[in-house]
Amino acid sequence: MRYKILSVDDSKTVRIIIKKAFKNYDCDILEAGNGVEGLALAAKEPPDVILLDVTMPVMDGVEMLTKLKSDPALKTIPVVMLTAEGGKDNVLKIAKIGVRDYIVKPFKEDLLVQKVGRIIDLKPITDAPAKGKSIFDPANILVVEDKPAILAQIQDGLKHTPWQVQGVATTGEAIDHCGRNAVDLILISLSLPDDAAFTLFRVLRTNLKTKYTPIFGLVVKTDATAQQQAQQVGFTGIATKPLDLPELEAKIARAMNLDTSERYFRIEGDLFVMRLPEACTPSVLNEVGTYLKTKVSDAVDSGIGKAVFDLHDVKRLDMPLIKVLLTAMQTCREVALQYTLVGAGPIVAECRGYEDTRGWQFHDNIEAARQSLLQKAGALATPVAAGE
Amino acid sequence: MPAIQDIPDTVFEDTITRAVQEVFSTMLSQPARYVPLKGTHEENALNLEHPHVVGTVGFIGAINGLIYLYLDVGFAQTCAGNLLGMSPAELEELGDEAVNDAIGELTNMTVGTFKNQLSDKGFPCRLTIPSILRGSRFRIEPISSATRRIYRFDIGGHNLTADLLMQPGE
Repeated sequence: MRYKILSVDDSKTVRIIIKKAFKNYDCDILEAGNGVEGLALAAKEPPDVILLDVTMPVMDGVEMLTKLKSDPALKTIPVVMLTAEGGKDNVLKIAKIGVRDYIVKPFKEDLLVQKVGRIIDLKPITDAPAKGKSIFDPANILVVEDKPAILAQIQDGLKHTPWQVQGVATTGEAIDHCGRNAVDLILISLSLPDDAAFTLFRVLRTNLKTKYTPIFGLVVKTDATAQQQAQQVGFTGIATKPLDLPELEAKIARAMNLDTSERYFRIEGDLFVMRLPEACTPSVLNEVGTYLKTKVSDAVDSGIGKAVFDLHDVKRLDMPLIKVLLTAMQTCREVALQYTLVGAGPIVAECRGYEDTRGWQFHDNIEAARQSLLQKAGALATPVAAGE
Repeated sequence: MPAIQDIPDTVFEDTITRAVQEVFSTMLSQPARYVPLKGTHEENALNLEHPHVVGTVGFIGAINGLIYLYLDVGFAQTCAGNLLGMSPAELEELGDEAVNDAIGELTNMTVGTFKNQLSDKGFPCRLTIPSILRGSRFRIEPISSATRRIYRFDIGGHNLTADLLMQPGE
C-alpha cells in the first residue's frame, strides 16, 4: 500500500522540500496551500499523515486542526505540525488540540522523514522488487565486531565480490556509520560486551534508514543461547564462527535478495551458456535449479537457438550435479534449444562411470562447442531442405 | 516583563545572529558570520545600488515588529536553488516567483526563530505572512515610534542584511 502524506503550507518552497525529502520513499505527497484546501483534500482523499503549517492565509493551521479534530471522519488522521511558530506557549496551546508531533522550522529533511516514519511504515523505494540488484552490483556491508581478526577474515573472504566491507568496533560507531552512509547489510558480533548487539539491533530497527536492512548475528557455533536470543528478537540470520565464507556469501546474497543467476547463466554471442563453478555445492545447485527454466526461456525469447553447458571448472561429478544437468537438457529439449557440453580432464572420465552420462560428448572449449552446434544445425537443415 | 527600550541591544544582536545562523546552517548548510557595523556603515548597509530581493515577516504581540532580510538577486537565486535542490536552469524555468517564495520562506524561518526566542524570554508574539519586495535604489523608513537595528552577515562571501523595526506591543 502506498501511503499518502498531505502537506498543508502556503509556501510552495516548503511543499517542494517535503516532496524532495520523501522522494526515495514509497509514498505520495498531496498538497494544499491553506486550511480550507487542506480540509477539502483530506475529506476527498484521506491521507495517512498531515504535515500542517500554522500561519497561512484564508484559514490558518490552528483553525484547520480544530475543524479536523471535530470531524468524526477525519479526527483520527495523525497531524504533525511543521511551522516556524515555536515558543513554549504556542506549542502547548496547539498540542492541546491534538497533534502527534511538532517540528519547528528550520528543519532537516532527515528529521522530518524520521518523525513521519514513526507514524507510518515508510519503506524506501529501493525495497521494491522491481529494482532487483545483481550479485555483480556494489553493496555496502558493515561489520560490528571488536575482534580485528574476524573483520579481516570477512574482508579477505569477500574481497572477490564487488561488496565493500567496513568494520567498526562499537555500537556508537555503528550508529554513527549508519547515519552517514547507506548500508545494505549489517553483521553484528553477538559477543560484544553488555548485550550491546541486541541494544544496537533495537536502535537500528527504530531508525528509518536501517529499519529494513538485513542484520546478521555473528556468533560462536556452540553458543546456542545467543543464537536463540538473536532469532527471537528478529535478526535476519546467523553466521557462525568459525566462519564458512562461501556460505556467508550465499547468505548475504539471499538476504539482500540479489540476483545470482549471472554467475551461472550468460549470453555469449549467439550462445546461451550455463557455466558451473569448481565446487557445485548443494546451495550452488539449488540456485542453478531455481533460475534454470526462466533463463532458458529468456534466451529463447531473445532469439538464441543454441546452448552450451560449460563444466570446464567442475572438478567432481556426483548425482545431484547429474540431476541438474539432466534437468537442464530436458528444459532445452522442451523449447527446441540445441545444446552441447564443454569439459575436460577428470570430469569427462567420470562421466563414463554413470549410466546416465556415459554417452555425453564434451568439447574442449566454447568455440569448439559453437562449431559443433553450427555443423549439427547445418546437417539437420540440409536434408530437410533437399527432401522438400 | 521589561519595556522594549530597556532590553539591551546585545539581546537583539544575539537573538537575530542565532536565528540567521540556525536557519542558514540547517536549511542551506551555510555558516553565517556576524559582521559588526558602526556609524555611517550602518546607514550605508541599506543603500541598494544593485537589484535586491527583500523578504519581510512581521510579528505581533508583546512586541510588534518587522524584519527585512536583504539579499542581492544573485545570492537570492543561489539560496533558492540550494533550498529547492534545483539547478540554475531548473530554477530559471520556474521564474522569479520561485525565488520570491524561497526567500519568503527563509525570512519566515529566520523571523520565526527570532520571535520564538523573544516568546521564551517573556514577550509572546505571533508571526504574519511573508511578503517580498524587489528592486534597487529604494529605502524603507520606519515610523518615528519604532526603533531600528541593522545587522550584517557574511554567508559564503555574500552579504545578508537584517533590518529590525520594533515598537512596544499589546
